[in-house]
Amino acid sequence: MKLALKRRFTCSFFLLLLLAAACNPQDTPGALAHQQGKLYIVTTTGILADAVTNVVGDRAVVTALMGPGVDPHLYKAALGDLQTLREADVILYNGLHLEGKMGEVLQKLARQKVVWAAAEGLPENLLRRTPEFQDSHDPHIWFDVSLWSRVVEHVSRKLQQQDPQNGAYYQQNTQRYRAQLDSLHQWTKEQIASIPAQQRILITAHDAFGYFGSAYQIQVRGLQGISTVSEFGLQDVSSLVNFIVDRKVKAVFVESSVSQKAIEAVLEGCRQKGHAVKLGGTLYSDALGDSQGPAGTYAGMVQVNVGKIVKALR
Amino acid sequence: MNIDAFWIILTGALVAICCSLLGCFLILRRMAMVGDAISHAVLPGIVLAFLFSGSREVWTMLIGAALLGVACTFLIEFFHKKANVSADASIGVTFTWLFALGIILISVFAGKVDLDQDCVLYGEIAYVPLDLWLTQSGLNLGPRTVWILGGVLVVLLLFISLFYKQLYLTSFDPAFAAAIGLSTTLWYYLLMGAVSLTTVAAFESVGAILVVALMVGPPATAYLLTDDLKKMLLLSAVAGIIASAAGYYLALWLNGSVAGAISAVIGIEFLLAFVFSPSHGLLSRRRQLMPVANG
Repeated sequence: MKLALKRRFTCSFFLLLLLAAACNPQDTPGALAHQQGKLYIVTTTGILADAVTNVVGDRAVVTALMGPGVDPHLYKAALGDLQTLREADVILYNGLHLEGKMGEVLQKLARQKVVWAAAEGLPENLLRRTPEFQDSHDPHIWFDVSLWSRVVEHVSRKLQQQDPQNGAYYQQNTQRYRAQLDSLHQWTKEQIASIPAQQRILITAHDAFGYFGSAYQIQVRGLQGISTVSEFGLQDVSSLVNFIVDRKVKAVFVESSVSQKAIEAVLEGCRQKGHAVKLGGTLYSDALGDSQGPAGTYAGMVQVNVGKIVKALR
Repeated sequence: MNIDAFWIILTGALVAICCSLLGCFLILRRMAMVGDAISHAVLPGIVLAFLFSGSREVWTMLIGAALLGVACTFLIEFFHKKANVSADASIGVTFTWLFALGIILISVFAGKVDLDQDCVLYGEIAYVPLDLWLTQSGLNLGPRTVWILGGVLVVLLLFISLFYKQLYLTSFDPAFAAAIGLSTTLWYYLLMGAVSLTTVAAFESVGAILVVALMVGPPATAYLLTDDLKKMLLLSAVAGIIASAAGYYLALWLNGSVAGAISAVIGIEFLLAFVFSPSHGLLSRRRQLMPVANG
């Protein structure tokens, strides 16, 4: 009896090992890219992958580790990510602690591989930070389209050095894309300016829209701090409710990668004070939308966000 | 097996041995969840370290976390002894209180900074092979974590083998240990000091869930298989090593989280021991009962 059990035990263990061995990946996107003589570029967020794709077109293969709708603050790595990073010719991450510990690992990896932080392309004086702390920059740099355009330029210049053969092509793409971003920046400015000044208040679940606020002259209030783990305080809710009622704010917003619960407490509080505030919709903050949908690209995401904000606040 | 697989499994095995050895003593003291408690209690340490230094650099965070880890175990013992509440209640009160303190500190002082264990302390075992220790001359000495955990393991092995008798007696029979002149409090604090330093070092290398799982699962499995503490220590270390190797391949197969897969294998090991254990298992117990039922 005991022996039979032991045998069954070992058998199932070896079966497990066999299964694991049988499922080794062979044709990874990285291997395919190298076969075609293309650069394989791996980014952390989908927003970065979109920027790189606009620069390299189809002359390099771009992969993002984090899929649509994933909160980069809370991302958990899969074992396949290690393989992907190993195969990458170029690794691009956002920096400024957006990726948390993973950013630290990538920063160290720069000693052996080509690793760039997108935020390095911006001078320190353009970054937002709390005055008390040195090391506390707001990582959500993509919300100011003109800043993001500078990031694209920085990444493009690096890519041209890395892949001089396609340099001219990359430069051409970059100029075209930056022209698009410039008109997107102007459009966003005009759209937000079309909201009457006293109604220009953007209230969201967590503090991601700081750059958006300062670039497009709209006051931003978040219920939570930048970290999505810190709980909101009761006083945060009640002071936000008072603020909404005082300023007669028409709508508040939720975010695609943060829970709705917090902002619902605020809605309820306003209702009790007799001020009807509506939900302006879901804004994309830390991740792109579904790749097939309108918010699947960076430009699309900005348009969708601005459209929702203007419609709800005007 | 490629070199990445080797480093990941080795890291998993090192964490497994460290955690399961300490876990055996914790289980005997009915304090198995101390690892989980420490994983929460380090939050105020991280926040204070940031407030004092203004940086989120690894070593700063580690020092803050280690201090709070030790403080947490001291408070647990203090409430347990002085307020005379049971150990589990004392653990629960202490770590929730410390975690709450951390959250209050964040929302009062550092609401605009992304600061929590997940983003500044907990490591990811899948990235262990990327974080190498390079010397000034560029010599590759292998992953940094393997060195740190290897060092922790050597210290632990020395500690347990030199003071096995003291740890054994104070865990099993505190009254007798006190009668022959051993200080139960001193050995408690030494053990807990080892626990908090090991857990914090392991959190930084491989993340929290794996550490908590390895501290409870393998010792509980070994507990079902033997009544001898020496065998229990050995068996739980072996169970932990098997789990880290099998978990790696499970994660490879599923393309999932390594820590999650190892923890899942630990659960399966425990279930197997629960069903098949020769002394405490479900089957053997039924076999022993059968003749009585028939007769």
